[in-house]
Amino acid sequence: MNGLLLCLPVFLPIVAGLAAYFLPFRTDRARHTLYAVIIGLTTVLAWAAILQCDGSAFTFLRFTDTLHFTLRMDGAAKLFAGLSASLWPFTMVYAWDYMKHEGHKPMFWAFFTASFGVTLGIAFAANMMTMYLFYELLTLATIPLVMHAMTKQAIHAGVKYAAYSIAGAALAFIGMVFLIVNDAQEFVPGGHLANYSGSMTLLLAVFVLAFVGCGVKAAIWPMHSWLISAAVAPTPVTALLHAVAVVKAGAFACIRLVYYSFGTEILHETWGQYTVMALAMITLVFGSAMALKQRHFKRRLAYSTVSNLSYILFAAAIMTAEGLLAAFLHLIVHSVVKIMAFFCAGSVLHYAHREYVSELEGLGRRMPLTFACFTAGACALTGIPPFNGFVSKWYIGLAAVGEGSVASCLGFAAILISALLTAIYMFQVVIKAWFPTEGIRLPSEQDAHEAGGFMTVPMLILAALCLLMGLFPDVLLHAIREAVIL
Amino acid sequence: MTTIALLLVVLLPILSAIVIAVLPDHHDNGRRMGALSIVFTLLTLLAMVYAAATGDGSTVTIPVMRLSFWTGGFQKLYGLVVCFMWFVSALLSPQYFHGHHQLKRYYFFFLICLGFTAGVFLSADLYTTFLFFELMSLSSYVWVVQEETPDAMDAGKTYLTIAVLGGLVTLMGLFLLYHITGTLVIAELHEACAAAEPGRLWAAAVCILFGFAAKAGLFSLHIWLPKAHPVAPAPASALLSGVLTKAGIFGVLLLTGQVLTGDHTWGMLLLVLGAITMVLGAVLAVFSTNLKYILACSSLSQIGFITVGVSMICLLGEHNALAANGTVLYMMNHSLVKLTLFLFAGVVYYNTHALDLNEIKGFGRGKPLLHVLFLCGACSLAGIPGFLGYLSKTLVHESLVEYAHMSGMTLITVVEWLFLFSGGLTAAYLTKIYVAIFWQRGRETGKKWGTPLSVLALCLAAVTLPLLGLTPHALAEKISGTTLDFTGGHAFDHPIHYFSWTNLKGVVISLAIGMIVYFLLIRTVLMTKDGRYLNRWPKWLNMEEYLYKPFFRGLFAVLDVVCRAVCDVLDVMVLLIRRTLLRDSREKPVRSYSPLVQAIARQNGDKAAQSAADRLDTDLDVLNRMTGSLSFGLLMTCLGLCVVLTVVIVSIF
Repeated sequence: MNGLLLCLPVFLPIVAGLAAYFLPFRTDRARHTLYAVIIGLTTVLAWAAILQCDGSAFTFLRFTDTLHFTLRMDGAAKLFAGLSASLWPFTMVYAWDYMKHEGHKPMFWAFFTASFGVTLGIAFAANMMTMYLFYELLTLATIPLVMHAMTKQAIHAGVKYAAYSIAGAALAFIGMVFLIVNDAQEFVPGGHLANYSGSMTLLLAVFVLAFVGCGVKAAIWPMHSWLISAAVAPTPVTALLHAVAVVKAGAFACIRLVYYSFGTEILHETWGQYTVMALAMITLVFGSAMALKQRHFKRRLAYSTVSNLSYILFAAAIMTAEGLLAAFLHLIVHSVVKIMAFFCAGSVLHYAHREYVSELEGLGRRMPLTFACFTAGACALTGIPPFNGFVSKWYIGLAAVGEGSVASCLGFAAILISALLTAIYMFQVVIKAWFPTEGIRLPSEQDAHEAGGFMTVPMLILAALCLLMGLFPDVLLHAIREAVIL
Repeated sequence: MTTIALLLVVLLPILSAIVIAVLPDHHDNGRRMGALSIVFTLLTLLAMVYAAATGDGSTVTIPVMRLSFWTGGFQKLYGLVVCFMWFVSALLSPQYFHGHHQLKRYYFFFLICLGFTAGVFLSADLYTTFLFFELMSLSSYVWVVQEETPDAMDAGKTYLTIAVLGGLVTLMGLFLLYHITGTLVIAELHEACAAAEPGRLWAAAVCILFGFAAKAGLFSLHIWLPKAHPVAPAPASALLSGVLTKAGIFGVLLLTGQVLTGDHTWGMLLLVLGAITMVLGAVLAVFSTNLKYILACSSLSQIGFITVGVSMICLLGEHNALAANGTVLYMMNHSLVKLTLFLFAGVVYYNTHALDLNEIKGFGRGKPLLHVLFLCGACSLAGIPGFLGYLSKTLVHESLVEYAHMSGMTLITVVEWLFLFSGGLTAAYLTKIYVAIFWQRGRETGKKWGTPLSVLALCLAAVTLPLLGLTPHALAEKISGTTLDFTGGHAFDHPIHYFSWTNLKGVVISLAIGMIVYFLLIRTVLMTKDGRYLNRWPKWLNMEEYLYKPFFRGLFAVLDVVCRAVCDVLDVMVLLIRRTLLRDSREKPVRSYSPLVQAIARQNGDKAAQSAADRLDTDLDVLNRMTGSLSFGLLMTCLGLCVVLTVVIVSIF
């Protein structure tokens, strides 16, 4: 029974979502209803699985005794699945309104739903091979979403995305083979390789390659540029790509790699750790600095994602229990904040027709709710109390300083520099929107107005969530501690 | 009950701000919001009085973000000062903002900032302090840009940058401190730090100092202060100058009293920073001709005086009774004086809509009450006996004399003279304002200068100064005596004779210097024959324009180049490979049909066959292009990797 409960949320949306593509729908409303049922059902099933199947496993395909595709529910899986299952419905509601203005709706809804299942698959994967399968599937399921507009630019972005992802997967594949050969491919806390006796150089080289491979989806430098190009996709897609589906899957895979397969014991204080830490540090300063330079609103947010993902990777690369805690905390916090920030950008795009930061002057007066949410997001990303971003930054800091090595202290300094840049690039927008330069003509009421309820309500709920997570961080911290640190 | 009152001090303003935000718009020039904010600030003040009267120094922790508050001696004192100042400036607001726009925004941030500022001063651990400190910085940004003029926006930008930068560096320092001592609870810090290694403690302390010094406006981080204070509305400038800078000093005191107790180098660092700020602010004030700008620079200078006092607490060790009491009284004095003077500037502004001395000349003629109130503030700032300023200045000055005597260092004697000199400059610029507004002839308005509420506000602010100044033993010393725990000070071991000749001598020297500066510099160089004031401060002498901005511009330019290079590194590599290893064929594409298709087309000669041939051609073309593409190349690379791996695995086993 538990096995079925594990399988259903993964395969139901994939099968049903893709099958529904072929159904002829008279109206959008009918299509929305069907997909809402599928997504709603998946959400319920996923939560049921999270609450019911503690530790149970289910093998759905077996090649040999060592090679099999298995789903298992452990602490980390619960967190990631819970996150996906919470944010997908919000995006669905938002997309009802947003997608009115876009074409290719059947394709959008089919792949949107399918990628939900695939993401849950990544969360539930019990070993490297299963994760690799879903990891590749995720690429396939999201390419049509990225290429959605089917303009030259969009197709180019899609091709770039595919090329980067496949290259990354190839690197991850090396790691997978190494883990299988060393009989270490099942995910268990602490990993299997503590007693590894072979060549350390080989192990570390493979680790770095695999980390970068998984990191491609998490947009680690120098493999980040697909994420920027992918900003051409419709907003619900970018919001999801940036918040949960793709980039967080990359970060999650990295966490799995470090803490659940290789194990921190053998990696700690080696050049492998320092290399990945250095990459994360470079990325996080670099992402913020590039965000500062972007004039395009969505691309600015995209670079901000690049930077914030590396906070997670950096926290994961600290390789202590506190580091793991901080990594998961920022993973969840950033998801909520970034999905909201993209929702804001999307509603500006559709209801005020502004794409560039310089055009946002005075829009706060016309779209007060949207920009109130965006301000909350800016505060959270910068790490201003009492928003949730402050809490996660605080714990990353504690982990970095607590580990005590020079590298991690340097990394924390990098995070602070990046936070300063974040403040500049986010507040530039906020200040432009609320305090227009004297003498600027505000857009007319018809030209720019608040989005409908389907778009504003998810934004407001997420903004409230940002504040609540910041005010009562203990709830979340307790859940994460329970789940990943035993 | 005490607990509830203490929490109310923080929560009530935040809740009332929300009430203001959700109130429907009412077109009465903000009168209703003004009245509400007076009521709310009064309630907060009452709650604070109750908490201060009954508080026994215990800690209150609430589950929201694990904030904790307590009522130590200093905390009580400054909690009261904060609430009092907010209440008084709320009293002036309705008249000041008559006819202004965006009042809802102003009152929202005005009230919410009261809660945050009270939170800073009442916090029981540095985590809470930092949290409220950041919130306070951000919410007060809105005060600075309230008028939305280009000047205000520019000042706001500087303000925000320094605030965020300071906050982040402080955060870093807090982490270091926590790592070293394992606690951030203020009451436990003293013991924990005594056991810690001084080198690392210094690193933490300097980082924390950065943020607090930025807020206080200490030298080299002061650039925002003279820009931001003048552009904010007057009731807000009074608070920016009177309270928010004290939040910075609060941190400096905390570091001195609890973290680096008695560290000689630390004391010298503060002494030097304080002395520079003290002289710099006073000199800037003497040169300026804008009323609020003079007051802002004066704040800068007074912060310098206070920091010198703090450094003396540190340097004098066992014998710091004079310095510890003097510094706290000085802080109080400056808060109350700036409240009086900025509200006075507010009165001037809403009557004349000008702040330049040349345009407001003679405004005060024929207004005896205003005259008296201004004199209360000015005399206290200049340190005339009978006012609070005299007590505090004397105490700090005597502590300097004592340390100069004890250590025998010339540097201290130099600082002592600078102290007197800056005191003289203070008298000089105050005389400049006083003569311009109350004696020179110019535009004179009627007798009436404010509504009863505004008059009450100024009276409340001004009356405290002589009240405390005339009762040094009965009130002032008792007040400062309760704060000694926090500042790390000792109690007086012998009674101080404030009005003896040795103590009066300093004031007399200062005032003499002041009069010399006024008559020889201000009246001759800075004034034309017919009584116009000139601003002869060279425009190019501006740290922000000629040091910070070029530095950051350069930094960002370098960062930009590096990032662009780094960003494209992979694309460049791919391009290089395409140009060298995987070069496209140089052959000209031959647009010919395949022989079979040509044959078919020739035989039939019809349109359908032609188009079929075209389609086939297109398909072939697409295939060609695909095999020549980057993704295809990467795909092939992946396949290659797989093959290599298989071979490796096979060869291993």
